[in-house]
Amino acid sequence: MTDHQGYRELAAPFALDALSAAERAAFAAHLAECATCRADVQAFREVAGVLAHAAPAAEPPAGLRDRVLREARRVRPLAGRRAIGPWLAAAAALVLAVAAGYGYWRERAARDQLGSALAATRARLDSADQLVAAILDSTVGTADLAATGKAPTMRLYWNRARHVVVVAAFDLPPAPAGRTYQLWAIKKGQSPVSLGTFNTSGGGRAIVTLPVPTGLKPDLSAVTEEPSGGSPQPTQQPFLVGAWQGI
Amino acid sequence: MRNSSRENKFEPVASQSDGALVQRMTAGDDRALGELYDRHGGTLYALAVAIAQERADAEEIVADALGQAWRTAAQFDPGRGSVGAWLATITRTRALDLVRARGRRARALVRAAGESSDGLAAPIAAAGEAPDRGIERQEARQLVGRSLAELPEPQRRVIELAYFGGLTQTEIAAELQEPLGTVKTRMRAGMEKLRGSLAQLLLREGP
Repeated sequence: MTDHQGYRELAAPFALDALSAAERAAFAAHLAECATCRADVQAFREVAGVLAHAAPAAEPPAGLRDRVLREARRVRPLAGRRAIGPWLAAAAALVLAVAAGYGYWRERAARDQLGSALAATRARLDSADQLVAAILDSTVGTADLAATGKAPTMRLYWNRARHVVVVAAFDLPPAPAGRTYQLWAIKKGQSPVSLGTFNTSGGGRAIVTLPVPTGLKPDLSAVTEEPSGGSPQPTQQPFLVGAWQGI
Repeated sequence: MRNSSRENKFEPVASQSDGALVQRMTAGDDRALGELYDRHGGTLYALAVAIAQERADAEEIVADALGQAWRTAAQFDPGRGSVGAWLATITRTRALDLVRARGRRARALVRAAGESSDGLAAPIAAAGEAPDRGIERQEARQLVGRSLAELPEPQRRVIELAYFGGLTQTEIAAELQEPLGTVKTRMRAGMEKLRGSLAQLLLREGP
């Protein structure tokens, strides 16, 4: 990975729950394979865990204790269930919790396995790097899009000088008949902007170049499956999301 | 359990660990929930007020949060942090959800928009107000309040906006009209310092 330092900076905001859903998903995938960042997050999370003590003192009303007990007595606690490894479960739970607050990306944003899926395709990404790098120059920003539910991964290259984005997709089955994939550029707090549609070959690969509007400076990119021809706005939750670096 | 938990609530250190109380909750023992309230209710309520501002909302938030803790006690994982941290996370999430659902801004943001030096930590340094339940809680409050107050103002600000304001780092950058990279650097530096100044407390709270 080119940008471990970029990821390291996300450990504190991750622990403070201060990442967007997409950033969180990408960082969670990174955590699955980075012990240094896991240790950082663990330490920062302990700090975050005691920050509640910094709230200005406020005496709870006398009736609150009874209310808590009264409401609890109406239901029985749920039976236990803790299956996946605690770390991945934690990451997945956090991703879910944050994603639930966002319009487009909901439950799909988590699921386990995303770390191993990424690792499995990393080697192929690296060889693709060299291929794509040949047509690019130094003014290039990249985004790694992490799978949030399925296996595929994607790397994007944004060439600011040429106003193009090169899309390199892996292990992504072709869209079904009448459907296509659509790439979005997202600026926090604004509606997604379409960067165009694409499809993969039978081998699940695609390397395509899409023109991008000038002046666009997105924080994130995401991919959805849309009806052929694309949609003005995403109609589905994205299955690939990632943050842009260096644009 | 001896007697009712109410009579024990002013004891600084109760005989059972928080984890043991959560364990009892999974078996449906609501006295354990009562005792957990006695230990953490004050902190959770103060947190809810700090985020939601309205006291009536804060009551609802705490009741909902502890209701959720009661229902999901079996999912509490001591490997991920203390019971106090778990309860605080649930409460914070509920409080931010409620604030957003009402279309309001969290109190920390209202404050941030006004006086620039008026951080959340400020009132605590001057505190001593409401008597807290238990000496340990009191110590924790003083230590965390002081540690936060000792941070350089810009570092404290970004941490407060994230934790109490519920903002993402990108939103914080927009709020403060600072570059995102600056926000990231401050957040990390501030958290590193807190990690050092709170080391004792963190050791004690343990996972």
